Amino acid sequence: MLEKEVLRYLGCPEQSADSRLKTRISDSLQDLRKACTPRSVWRCFPLEMGTGSVQIGTLEIPGNSLRKHLRGCGQAVLFAATLGAQADFLLERMSRMDIGLAAVYQASAAALVERYCDECEQKIAEKASRKNLFLRPRYSPGYGDFPIECQRGILAVLDCPRRIGLSMTERYMLVPTKSVTAVIGLTRDRPDGTVSKCARCDSPACPFRKEPNDGSAE
Amino acid sequence: MDLRSELGKRLIFFDGAMGTMLQGMGLEAGELPEVWNLTHPKAVSDIHRAYLAAGADILKTNTFGANRIKLGQSGYSVSEVVSAGVWLAKDAAAEKGALVAMDIGPTGKLMKPLGDLEFEDAVSAFAEAARAGERAGADIILIETMSDTYECKAAVLAAKENTSLPVFATVVVDEQGKLLTGGDIPSAVALLESLGVDALGLNCGFGPSQMERFFPVLESCCSIPIIINPNAGLPREDSGSIVYDVTAEQFARDMKRIAESGAWILGGCCGTTPAYIRAMVRCCKNISPKPIHKKNLTVVSSYSQTVRFGKKPVLIGERINPTGKPRLKQALCEGDMDYLMRGAVSQQEKGAHVLDVNTGLPEINETTVLSRAVQGIQSVTGLPLQIDTSSPVAMEAAMRLYNGKPLVNSVNGKKESMETVFPLVKKYGGVVIALTLDENGIPATAEGRAAVAQKIISAAAEYGIEKKDIIVDTLVMTISTGQKNAAVTLDSLRLVKERLGVCTSLGISNVSFGLPERQNLNASFFTMALQTGLDAAIVNPNSEAVMNAYYAFGALSGKDGQCSAYIRHHSGQKREEEPSAGSITLAEAIWKGFRESAREKAREMLKTEVPLDIIHSQMIPALDRAGKDFEQGTLFLPQLLMSAEAAKAAFEILRGSMAGKGETVRGGKIVLATVKGDIHDIGKNIVKVLLENYGFDVLDLGRDVPPEKVVETAVSQHVRLVGLSALMTTTVASMEETIRQVHQALPGCKVMVGGAVLTPEYAKKIHADFYSKDAMGSVRYAQKLFSVNISRERPGD
Repeated sequence: MLEKEVLRYLGCPEQSADSRLKTRISDSLQDLRKACTPRSVWRCFPLEMGTGSVQIGTLEIPGNSLRKHLRGCGQAVLFAATLGAQADFLLERMSRMDIGLAAVYQASAAALVERYCDECEQKIAEKASRKNLFLRPRYSPGYGDFPIECQRGILAVLDCPRRIGLSMTERYMLVPTKSVTAVIGLTRDRPDGTVSKCARCDSPACPFRKEPNDGSAE
Repeated sequence: MDLRSELGKRLIFFDGAMGTMLQGMGLEAGELPEVWNLTHPKAVSDIHRAYLAAGADILKTNTFGANRIKLGQSGYSVSEVVSAGVWLAKDAAAEKGALVAMDIGPTGKLMKPLGDLEFEDAVSAFAEAARAGERAGADIILIETMSDTYECKAAVLAAKENTSLPVFATVVVDEQGKLLTGGDIPSAVALLESLGVDALGLNCGFGPSQMERFFPVLESCCSIPIIINPNAGLPREDSGSIVYDVTAEQFARDMKRIAESGAWILGGCCGTTPAYIRAMVRCCKNISPKPIHKKNLTVVSSYSQTVRFGKKPVLIGERINPTGKPRLKQALCEGDMDYLMRGAVSQQEKGAHVLDVNTGLPEINETTVLSRAVQGIQSVTGLPLQIDTSSPVAMEAAMRLYNGKPLVNSVNGKKESMETVFPLVKKYGGVVIALTLDENGIPATAEGRAAVAQKIISAAAEYGIEKKDIIVDTLVMTISTGQKNAAVTLDSLRLVKERLGVCTSLGISNVSFGLPERQNLNASFFTMALQTGLDAAIVNPNSEAVMNAYYAFGALSGKDGQCSAYIRHHSGQKREEEPSAGSITLAEAIWKGFRESAREKAREMLKTEVPLDIIHSQMIPALDRAGKDFEQGTLFLPQLLMSAEAAKAAFEILRGSMAGKGETVRGGKIVLATVKGDIHDIGKNIVKVLLENYGFDVLDLGRDVPPEKVVETAVSQHVRLVGLSALMTTTVASMEETIRQVHQALPGCKVMVGGAVLTPEYAKKIHADFYSKDAMGSVRYAQKLFSVNISRERPGD
């Protein structure tokens, strides 16, 4: 399952992946799992819709994409997760030693952090379901017109540097690099079946866009 | 209260949390607590007084995030926030004569090379805060909640260079006892003790019962007073707010055990309140501080680990030293740090414990190159490094930005050497190799060398450098110029160990210089020295004979329990299955991505053909085939890169051979960089490997590169092509600016761009000359632009 995601990030169709590549992928996943301690932090806040913006706790997030995505939600979870600095050390080392392995490790790390986020979401979903609330798919800065500059606020509200060692650069890039911040809406409305998150996103130029007939359901 | 006289006589108590207390009074999540020194001074003052009443001896100022990086957007200056914070604490403390500790927390940014915060910028930001704290009257500097040893080093240096206050430092570790950047407790202790802090310990992260688990390891390596400031347990969310799961009574009971174990300074962090401090003080105040025993460990460290001398012999890998290595010399002159980094990792894989780094060449600026080498190498390996130079300027620069406690090579018995090196070791920390020679040369007898060693040790003591931080090298000279040389060295070694009680080291390979089949002499001499009590050796980890001797000695001396290391060493390695070099051509090895076969094949072909012919007849056709298949969509990125890596390995063999004749490959210079603000560089690194395979001379400026640096390099190197990558919309602006500056300074220079966020339209908009849509695009463009074949060049032609 994870291997499929890794191949997608590598831009390699499954049928073109030989046993050497598959071994490299599984070795890299094992290596990364051993070296990394993924961490996450989240908090729930009340949500208020503004005109052309959304207010989550004290954070005001401008734009329409997030607003549309959170329609029908009364609360939202601010969420952050990271694979940690060890992933970056490994990637840096690989970059110098073997570019082929470096690309595989990059893709594997990306798949692992997404998988970790999925696992965290499961836990949030369980807690939410006890209050009869359902989760909207996670939505991150950079999707649609959700400004990347909002990283600053999310990191500050969740106290990410201290809690999970997650920070950002001058230009709003998360560091360590294999990290995710997101807004997860909570709603009383039941989810509407399996629509791929890519189909809902307004960035058609993204090279990782999943096609609906990909077969990998959300 | 007089700290120096009280410390050790009775336990000293810190106060508890400030931030969580302020949150209880209305501080919002994400709001800066330090600003309340100016907007809600009474609230801050009340908290200080409450802790004072609860029995705190030291109040921490509300200045945890009061640095220019965190305060940047707030509209408040560091000076006003810190001054207000210190005055509020002093005002409260005066009542009982308590002390005020200027609280310095992390900047919230990650240090380079992980993030984008420069070491010196961090030092400067901490210096500003520390100065303001001392000016306002703080009694102590407390550096706390550091989860990165590098940032911690920056803060300690800043405090010590800019104030004369005592410096305390505490770090935060996770459930496995590791800092977030991978450091362990012994490496943090080695670094902090060597920088000369007055007390160190742990704070934050979790509660006292979890922190207690790490007290034994902390205590086992620490020779200065220990500080323990835990949280009130672990935080969890409860109806929108954060609560902590340990009560004040439980906290106090746990802290009592920690005091009895030997902590001298105790307090609380997040979630604690005056009630916690009151309970703790009541519980602990009659406990006498346990006496501290000096540990006398000879230890060096990296960001992640320590290496101890005196238990098992330590191998110091010698390969990063340009003497007698034309290819390395070439790499240093070209600024090819990748080559050094690969050499470092490969020595690590061969079993080295510490790596020597020597970049001494008359043709280059040693200070700049050594610093870059140390920074580069410490970003790819966790092995401690030996900073090896005879230039005091280079030595200082490298020691300053080394992430850990380095091994320093070297000091000798000459007055000038000791006067330049000892102050550096004292300031930046380190274990220094002491060569037994002085103004009278190298003593011919063992007694003579032991006397010089004693002289050095005594002089070091005057600088406050202890014997444990000195390793004596009794000098190895080749037996080809003196039959007795080996014996004198070994006798000196024995004498120094018996009489002076210090660790010892030798540069083994020197013994065989000028003689045939050197590895035999090296291996045997190594064994003889180990038997005489050698603690460390500078060796070639690639030498099978030397490494075999090392493992055999380990097994025979009983140091290698159950001979397990010896057995492991001889059990062979697991490697990817590859066909033997005899069965395929070089072109096939590259095409199929078999790196080791390609390497062997290149070596084989060099016996009968010249490098340029091999490149044109085998390598380029294979690369072209892989490239074309990639562009046509029948070959994919992972396979393309395996071919590229195989070609790179073959190319390295060819370059090695050419370097030996003073030649190099020239195919046109290309500058590559990831633009300012961007730290993702896998795309750029892929393009670099491909371009180098085609013989282009790539000047890789790395990531987060300002436009000015790109221009400066392009101009000084007469470059015709620049390649830029950017991943995100926020950094494309930097790309536009870089392109503008390049075109302005060098009208003939072309700029090609690539990166996930770019499109042909956007590339045109920012005036790029070419948009590369995939890995091969830049190769094709470069080939077209340069339209010359790879040629051979001898510098000076």
